[in-house]
Amino acid sequence: MAAADSSSATLQRRDLCSRGIRLAGKMRSDVVDLLDTYAEQQGLDASASVAAVEGVPAAAVERWDEQTGTQRLLENLAAYRAFRVLLAQMLEEQQEQLGEADAALSRALAAVLLQVSAFAYHLEELLRLESRGPPSEEGARPPQPSHLGLFERKLRGLGVLRELAQWAVRSARDLRQLTKPSLGSSSAPSLAESP
Amino acid sequence: DSHIQYERVGADVTMKCGSMDWDAAVTWTANGTDIDESHLNGSYLILKNVDLTQSGQYSCYEGSSWHLKYQTYLRVGTPPKEPVLMCRSNNYPKGFYCSWHLPTPTYIPNSFNISVIHGTREMVCEKDVFPKNRCHIRYLQLFSTVKYKVTLTVTNALGKSSTTLTFDEFTIVKPDPPESVVAKPVPNNPRRLEVSWQNPSSWPDPESFPLKFFLRYRPLILDQWQHVELSDGTSHTITDAYAGKEYIIQVAAKDNDIGTWSDWSVAVHATPWTEEPKHLTTEAQLTETTSASTSSFMPPPTTKICDKGAVVGSGAVAVCWTAGLVLAAYGVLFI
Repeated sequence: MAAADSSSATLQRRDLCSRGIRLAGKMRSDVVDLLDTYAEQQGLDASASVAAVEGVPAAAVERWDEQTGTQRLLENLAAYRAFRVLLAQMLEEQQEQLGEADAALSRALAAVLLQVSAFAYHLEELLRLESRGPPSEEGARPPQPSHLGLFERKLRGLGVLRELAQWAVRSARDLRQLTKPSLGSSSAPSLAESP
Repeated sequence: DSHIQYERVGADVTMKCGSMDWDAAVTWTANGTDIDESHLNGSYLILKNVDLTQSGQYSCYEGSSWHLKYQTYLRVGTPPKEPVLMCRSNNYPKGFYCSWHLPTPTYIPNSFNISVIHGTREMVCEKDVFPKNRCHIRYLQLFSTVKYKVTLTVTNALGKSSTTLTFDEFTIVKPDPPESVVAKPVPNNPRRLEVSWQNPSSWPDPESFPLKFFLRYRPLILDQWQHVELSDGTSHTITDAYAGKEYIIQVAAKDNDIGTWSDWSVAVHATPWTEEPKHLTTEAQLTETTSASTSSFMPPPTTKICDKGAVVGSGAVAVCWTAGLVLAAYGVLFI
């Protein structure tokens, strides 16, 4: 019985991971397009360096290859939950602005927000399979940037999208690590580098 | 008392004979050959508008005793021009390397100093033993949006020059080309070629960082390539090859998500399977020669007329060739 359960869990995990990887790929592609549109709309240089933005989860990580499966899932989940809030804030601000061009941007933002939510759901399901369960959503939410001026908000938006694009790449990698056969769920670290 | 002296091409050089007075009687030699007095101003040697050929050992001897009073090795060269720097990660996510060269030689020794800055952090780029003008660096962080700034400074005795590259972690990712590309005909399939290859050995973790591939192929006699992009797997069967034509095939690789395509792999050649020619009659041989001159290639024979399986005797082969001629003529019309 236990063996059947574990093999069914393995299959489920693999299925969730491969769907998650595809979703991450699509999300990244859409975010990159959105980045260009957003930068153009807001009159910003898409390649401009943006300082680390408060409340935006940074995708950058040290010793990525040493992370456990559970660490990966938890960090990803925390990030996408934060992005869900940040994108919702951006959408709200966008919708306050009028104009057709802005409406297209709002639609694109909404589409990405949907994907972010879907991905967060995938992660929650994967954590449930780890018998860990996802952590509750209480806790610090990204601060509402009401005190920021318009330009600062635009720059922040650029920072959010840019970081999200990085996360989408990282997430696909993280999920691939999870699908490695020798990798246990929570305990075993990732494989030593292949020769 | 011997040392090295570096001078720019085109400079005027004055060499003193050590501590000898200006009016001392001396003899100068260049690489053992006496230098004419016309180049002397007192005991000083004057070389005007020096060029590269004037590099060498210069010695000064006291007039009567022939004691060696001074010796120097003159190296004529140029200060360095702006170096050419390139950085690339062919072993992502382990790290990246930077390599450099000078656009024009300086003819004198140069030293290179490279600095790599990531945000506020200075990273060490370890110089490779071979090739010399290269260093490698391990990634401390992955998935960072902070750019890397690499500055290379070239210095020699006559001057210095530097250049800076700024880039993202993702943009410099470029795998090495796929390895061990093999193309084989498929038995009993005149239009197929089976191609297989391996991930470049420098790519450390193809499981977590899978590569996608781009295959290109063309018959040798045509200029236009066919392309196929493959998102997984390290093999592909070409199914639209022209029968009997030798093909050239190459493969390139790219990380699935980031970076740029590798260079093309070494080219391999292959010809699709053809049936061993049966005993040809003289007539058939003549027909073959004629058809070769009227068209640049034979369109694939239709199976109805020239079904290889149906060919039995030499008479049937002659029919095939004739039919082929007709098709070739049509082929010429449609090129």
